[in-house]
Amino acid sequence: MSNIVWLIPLAPLIGCLACIVMRARRMSDSLASGAAIIGLGVAAIAALVCLLRVEPGADGFIAQGYDWLRVGAMRIPVALRLDGISLAQINVVTFISLLVAIYSRGYMKGDPGYIRFFAVICGFVFSMAMLVLASNLLVLYAFWEGVGLCSYLLIGFWYQKPSAAKAAQKAFLVNRLADCGFLLGILLLWYGVGLTGIDVASGLNRLDFGTIFQAAPLLQEEHPTLLGWVGVLLLIGAIGKSAQFPFHVWLPDAMEGPTPVSALIHAATMVTAGVYLLARMSPLLQFTPSVLVAAGWLGAITALLAGLIALFQDDLKRVLAYSTVSQLGYLFLAFGAGLGDSMLSTAVVAAMFHLVTHAFFKALLFLASGNVMHAMGDVIDMRRFGGLKSVLPSTHVLFLIGALALVGIPPLAGFWSKEGILGLLAGQLSDPRYGGLFTIWLAIGLVSALLTAIYTFKAYFRTFHGATRVPAEAGDHAHEASSTMLAPLWVLAVGSILSGVVLHFTGGLERLMLPISTLAMPKEGHHSHLWLAIVSVALAAVGIWVGKTWAARTVAGDKEAEPTGGFAWLGANRFFLDEIFDQLLVRPTQIVGRSLSLFDQFVIDGAAKFVSSLPNALGTQVRRWQQGLVPKYALGMVVGLLAAIALTFFRG
Amino acid sequence: MTPLTNHTLLVAATLFSLGLIGFLSRKNMILMFLSVELMLAGVATNFIAFGSHHGNVQGEIFAILILTVASCEAAMALALVVALHRRKSTLDVGAWSELRETAEGFEAEPLIRDKSPSELYPSLTPAGVDPLKKQVVSKYNSGQMAQKA
Repeated sequence: MSNIVWLIPLAPLIGCLACIVMRARRMSDSLASGAAIIGLGVAAIAALVCLLRVEPGADGFIAQGYDWLRVGAMRIPVALRLDGISLAQINVVTFISLLVAIYSRGYMKGDPGYIRFFAVICGFVFSMAMLVLASNLLVLYAFWEGVGLCSYLLIGFWYQKPSAAKAAQKAFLVNRLADCGFLLGILLLWYGVGLTGIDVASGLNRLDFGTIFQAAPLLQEEHPTLLGWVGVLLLIGAIGKSAQFPFHVWLPDAMEGPTPVSALIHAATMVTAGVYLLARMSPLLQFTPSVLVAAGWLGAITALLAGLIALFQDDLKRVLAYSTVSQLGYLFLAFGAGLGDSMLSTAVVAAMFHLVTHAFFKALLFLASGNVMHAMGDVIDMRRFGGLKSVLPSTHVLFLIGALALVGIPPLAGFWSKEGILGLLAGQLSDPRYGGLFTIWLAIGLVSALLTAIYTFKAYFRTFHGATRVPAEAGDHAHEASSTMLAPLWVLAVGSILSGVVLHFTGGLERLMLPISTLAMPKEGHHSHLWLAIVSVALAAVGIWVGKTWAARTVAGDKEAEPTGGFAWLGANRFFLDEIFDQLLVRPTQIVGRSLSLFDQFVIDGAAKFVSSLPNALGTQVRRWQQGLVPKYALGMVVGLLAAIALTFFRG
Repeated sequence: MTPLTNHTLLVAATLFSLGLIGFLSRKNMILMFLSVELMLAGVATNFIAFGSHHGNVQGEIFAILILTVASCEAAMALALVVALHRRKSTLDVGAWSELRETAEGFEAEPLIRDKSPSELYPSLTPAGVDPLKKQVVSKYNSGQMAQKA
């Protein structure tokens, strides 16, 4: 069993290495992508086998690996931990990545970096699998950076394009900023667990999840402040990777990468790593309600803000990117809903549920927009095309399925999972401590749902309805994508339709994930709230109608570029958050950097140069004496001898 | 210490010092070699003085050993000097200064044969002549002497 678990990360790694070797040997593109797809396929099958065969229980199934570090008594093993959370996440990751890789086989055809693309995709899946399966926080962190690196490489895949190179840098740097918090959190946790002495008693690794979960209640009693800071720092790490306010600025720019990358990394898998981290650490977070409040607020703000910005974007992929940010906000909101009495495990399940369904329909939407881009000659600006329903019939249907799933029209997937999160909030409105908070969050969630419907269908109607317009870049051969590209989309479409119903009614996720380590089991089962369902479907319907009329207004002319009104102006400029970031963080950093560089040049380099100039000056003086004349040397000898004699004479 | 020892030591020291001064001031390899021999002789005389002072023959034995070694050494050194002279047709030790500092600003000292005679010998202005005018050439500064050197 343990061997099968190890296949999940190692098969993509082998695929990655195979691609690198094939690139070096100049082998054919199709061979390399085939190797990559086989690697990802093996991983997906292995993950599925694990899902069916492993009975993880509360503490998970640990597949032992090897020791990464061994310093004195300290030991950092690389081992894989299978439990409900990681099983759910790893299946999503491997399955979606397999589909996206198959899609990319067609999408990336003819690109000079074809094999490089597949190599990095495989490297990404390897890192992501290790991140998800890691059994201790340090390994998780290592691969957390690994996926960040792959994300950087893929955003900047077309590195000749300055905008892509810049976007890649931005993503990496913003993530680094948040990762600093994460790293500090890990170090603080290391210190804290050491204080409890649990690791000494059980001989376990300090950062092993099992140890952390055991130590959390003790820490809560003895050092509650420390535990609170750990929670805050971990949350900072999570909001960086998951692009939550105020770290969301990198994700829309990340759309400079190839569309399959946007679908895989920046919608379905990597950006959910932050949510995964919170879910993973939920047995610790149950003791830090303030962190959950912060997570809820950040999620709510992000969902609302991203929804508002998405309304005013003209770039199809950017609309989807802000939609992703907004949906990730929902996931964080779910953690906020876990504040109630022993509700956190239910909240984690709800978040993971939405994560799974979102992965399906958002990947579907992105890949469908990739089809559009493919047909339009890499034009993605919605002002330049329209009425593509007749040009791209299959893509139109696929996009529509994805859009309906996203806005939450029953019985598609999004309805059930979004309902899960909002229902969780609605069920606790009478909570004595947090009831007011839940009411506000529920309202924000519903408004965001309305916004989701508006921007999604505005984009849908602008792209696929109205008079057919095709940009010049597409030439006269705008055509539907090949079957290689459509087949994975249909699979995703089936997932977008069915995953919600199946998981909701069978309760598969609950059975898989509960109980979560030391988290209390939920007291009561899940209640459906009929009024909430009606309200949200009504909001979705209203949103679709608004989107349609808005799209009809904008489709009329290409010139609708300048948004009118203060609010639209704010939205189109993304609330100037990028500019604020620039002024608040980038400029001061540059100033500090410049002054430090001056200090380095003049003070440190100056000192070093002065020291190195001393022997030089001395040497210049001394080399005068080396004239190659024997009598002069002999004179020196005699003078030295006389000096020595004089010294002994006068001292003695 | 007997007066004899004292005087012998004085002679030895004088020999050694003359040899040292000669070695330091000469540039002609044969003369330098002769100076070294002079120093060796001084040292040998020292041995004899101390040998006689202590009343044993070890000093004299050493002196004879030094003379033997010096003769061997003389044979070798003169052979070397001949070989060196064949290569550069000069006995000036300054001709073999390849190991000197060769960077810019460090010129080799010119050989004696390349120097003008006025650089080689002290040129005192004859009495009764204005020193600033320096028109009267001394006997030593004449061209004949330069040719002889």
